[in-house]
Amino acid sequence: MSMLKRLFGKRDAELDIMQEEALQSPLRTVIKNFLENRLATGGLIVFLLIFLTVLIGPLFNPIDLSEKEETQINVAPGMKMLQVPDGLKGNVKQISTGSTFSVGVDNDGKVYVWGHTKITSKIDVAKLIPSKEELGKVVAVSAGFDHIMALNEDGKVICWGSDRMGQGKVPMEVSKKKDIVQIAAGYQISYALTGSGEVFCWGNENLNDVRLTKRNGNSNIAKISVANTTLMALTKDGEVRHLGSQKSEIANVPEDLGTVKDIATTADACVAVLEDNSMRIWGKANKSERDLPEVEGNIVSIFGGRYHLTALSDSGKVYSWGSNAKHQTEVPSKASGVTAIYGGGYQNYAVKDSGEIVTWGLKGYLLGSDELGRDVFSRILNGGRMTMTIGAIAVIISTIIGIIIGGVSGFFGGWVDIVLQRLTEIVSSLPFLPMAMILTSIIGNNLPEDAKIALIMIVLGVLSWPSLARLVRAQVLAEREKEFVTAANAMGVKRSSIVFKHIIPNVISVIIVSATLDFASCMLTESTLSFLGFGVKLPRPTWGNMLNGCVSSVVIQNYWWRWVFPAIMLSICVICINMVGDGLRDAIDPKSNER
Amino acid sequence: MVGVFFVVSIIMFILFNNVPGDRALNQVQSLRGKVSDEIFQRHYEEARERLGLDDPIPIRYVKWMGNLLQGNLGYSTFYKKDVIKVIGQPMVNTIIINIFATILALVITIPLGIHCAVKKFSKFDNTVQVLTIVGYSVPSYIIGLVFIFLFSVKLGWFPISGMNSPNFQGAGLEAVLDRMHYLALPVIVMTVASLGGMTRYVRAAMIDALRMDYIRTARAKGLKEKVVIYSHAWRNALLSVITLIIGWFMSIFMGSIIIEQIFQLNGIGKMYYTGLMNQDYDMALAIQMLYCVITLISNLITDLSYGIVDPRVRINK
Repeated sequence: MSMLKRLFGKRDAELDIMQEEALQSPLRTVIKNFLENRLATGGLIVFLLIFLTVLIGPLFNPIDLSEKEETQINVAPGMKMLQVPDGLKGNVKQISTGSTFSVGVDNDGKVYVWGHTKITSKIDVAKLIPSKEELGKVVAVSAGFDHIMALNEDGKVICWGSDRMGQGKVPMEVSKKKDIVQIAAGYQISYALTGSGEVFCWGNENLNDVRLTKRNGNSNIAKISVANTTLMALTKDGEVRHLGSQKSEIANVPEDLGTVKDIATTADACVAVLEDNSMRIWGKANKSERDLPEVEGNIVSIFGGRYHLTALSDSGKVYSWGSNAKHQTEVPSKASGVTAIYGGGYQNYAVKDSGEIVTWGLKGYLLGSDELGRDVFSRILNGGRMTMTIGAIAVIISTIIGIIIGGVSGFFGGWVDIVLQRLTEIVSSLPFLPMAMILTSIIGNNLPEDAKIALIMIVLGVLSWPSLARLVRAQVLAEREKEFVTAANAMGVKRSSIVFKHIIPNVISVIIVSATLDFASCMLTESTLSFLGFGVKLPRPTWGNMLNGCVSSVVIQNYWWRWVFPAIMLSICVICINMVGDGLRDAIDPKSNER
Repeated sequence: MVGVFFVVSIIMFILFNNVPGDRALNQVQSLRGKVSDEIFQRHYEEARERLGLDDPIPIRYVKWMGNLLQGNLGYSTFYKKDVIKVIGQPMVNTIIINIFATILALVITIPLGIHCAVKKFSKFDNTVQVLTIVGYSVPSYIIGLVFIFLFSVKLGWFPISGMNSPNFQGAGLEAVLDRMHYLALPVIVMTVASLGGMTRYVRAAMIDALRMDYIRTARAKGLKEKVVIYSHAWRNALLSVITLIIGWFMSIFMGSIIIEQIFQLNGIGKMYYTGLMNQDYDMALAIQMLYCVITLISNLITDLSYGIVDPRVRINK
């Protein structure tokens, strides 16, 4: 019907010749053809998304190259570190945070464990919780590096989790005591404080600097606080003691403290709350930890995380300060009218008078963490930027060399052509990967890190131009004989500007396609080099060297997130670029589509 | 051809001379402290003399080249042996792996490429096209990791790495089977890694050949489709496929550096890797030279094979 209408029907309006025989510029034809290719368009969109993410992402997720965190090693992907179980809400008695998991007890004496609880391939501290009969009614809990302690109302101490260093074996002298008032779990070590002021410890005493003798001050103690690998104590007289033997910065307790109300410890520093509500900090504290806040009113509670501290004033206001690398000091605005604060590690829990629990700090790792406790997600973002930068600059270098050599060789011909052709032949007969490896390792041996990265770009660029040069030469040879070149020659245009201003723009389509495909292969080569350990060196991440330490059955099987995510990103990125390149070639030269 | 070899060798020589460290000092390092400074100095001078470090550059180049051509590839400081004695067995291993991988890849890609070319733009062809883009985009080490995960860790069919079972004592057929069991996964990974690119190339060559007028003539003559495709079109497509095969053999030769590294195979690529990693530059340069020679020879073979496959291209026609 429509066919008949079109043939014989009355037209709406007379079209003028320009509309009827609409001409399209070549560029618009290319764009139209390209957009019609769904695969290529999809590839372009995905690539642009990845590109923008790795370009902008690192601004919000800057990387600390010296980062190393032994409590956060090989954490599986997940964001459940701050997910307080429902049973605990509104009924909290106490919460304690260990390395990657938290343990809580409610007013009925029931124990809850949440967070990244599968700390090794065999030990899951959430599944190992002892039965109700064994636990009894729990009144206090404490989470350590890889184990959990609980104290029930009969004064019995129960441990579960890792027991590799004996931190789970409660000694006889402790199980005989009925007046235990405080328990604390540390780095493979357990502590218990009795009502008479005596501290007991069991576990890895080689790693931890603890000496518990009467002479050393182990008597009359009111509170203990666990630092990374040592123990600080507050006596009933308000005096701070270091219960270890080694001379360290944290052991160097200031002498003019006066009477101390409360203490709290981070990994390597100790904070004391004095009589007048001011605070003093000593030890190996970083700058932000030393930046003590002005607290209004009395400090009623204070605890230390790994590199931050949180305090509660009697007006119900919460203060957090210290390192904010994992957002652990960003107190939410709804944390007012707080009655109790708990936490440790990188997590904070504040219980409001309404019973609601407000949480802030490290939620978890979106893509897991690696063998040094670094966030895989942030390494992928930063590594992607590095991989793409190296790929892009290498392509720019190789394209420029390729255009100049191909253009000159094609246009001038003669002996110039012969010499340049031999040069192309030589470079293309250098074995690519071995050559890049030997160049980066011999030349780059004594270079600083930044110069080494520049070297990789140059090596990749200098080794990968021959194919483009050949393409350009062939195209220039074809274009050279066309009329417009003859015309330009007749008008006396300089030969160099004929090549680069008249001929090269006509072969630009070939160059663009080739550069796109080269970009993919340069990214691949860079990541291959980094994978083998000849490219960008750790700790600076690229997608290639993130896979470097992953070729072992343990990592492949148990810590799959360490290789799966970088591998997927790299593969998707290269696939998309190749699709875009293919699509561009088809769009620019529709004839090639018939192949 | 020979000229190219010499230019490449000059590049290698310049690299060789830029190797960090004093080679003469390395040789006499063990004497330091044991003898008096004077004798040490004399030994050092002798070592410099012996290595010819004080000669002018061109003479050193000629000497180095002469040594190279006589098969004296230098001394491996890592293995404490002459390089030539160390690289024999790895060389054989690498060649075996590569030949297997190339043959396997050809057996799969040639029929697949031809099929796709004949049925181009069919659903099957489009699927294969997308898969081949994926195939040549994913680097071989990622394929290796995935395959180790699937076939070694999850299914337990193949060992994860190595060349033989530990403490393996069997001989004859048993030994061969054990070796095959260990080499199976690397060969599969290498094959899969080269499928994408090769299939695309065979398909493109075949489509070009099928567009020719003589194909129409052959069809018009009423020849069977099989004869048209395999005898007329394929014979003509073979010309560019030959280049591909040799080029590909080369590139997986280089690519086996990665595979050997992942699977800890005792091959030439692994030797190269350990050489570079342990600053054993004599070893690395010898293998590098070998790679260059292999590349050049394969270029030569490509040129010669044109003449064999295609009577139209003959040198000195």
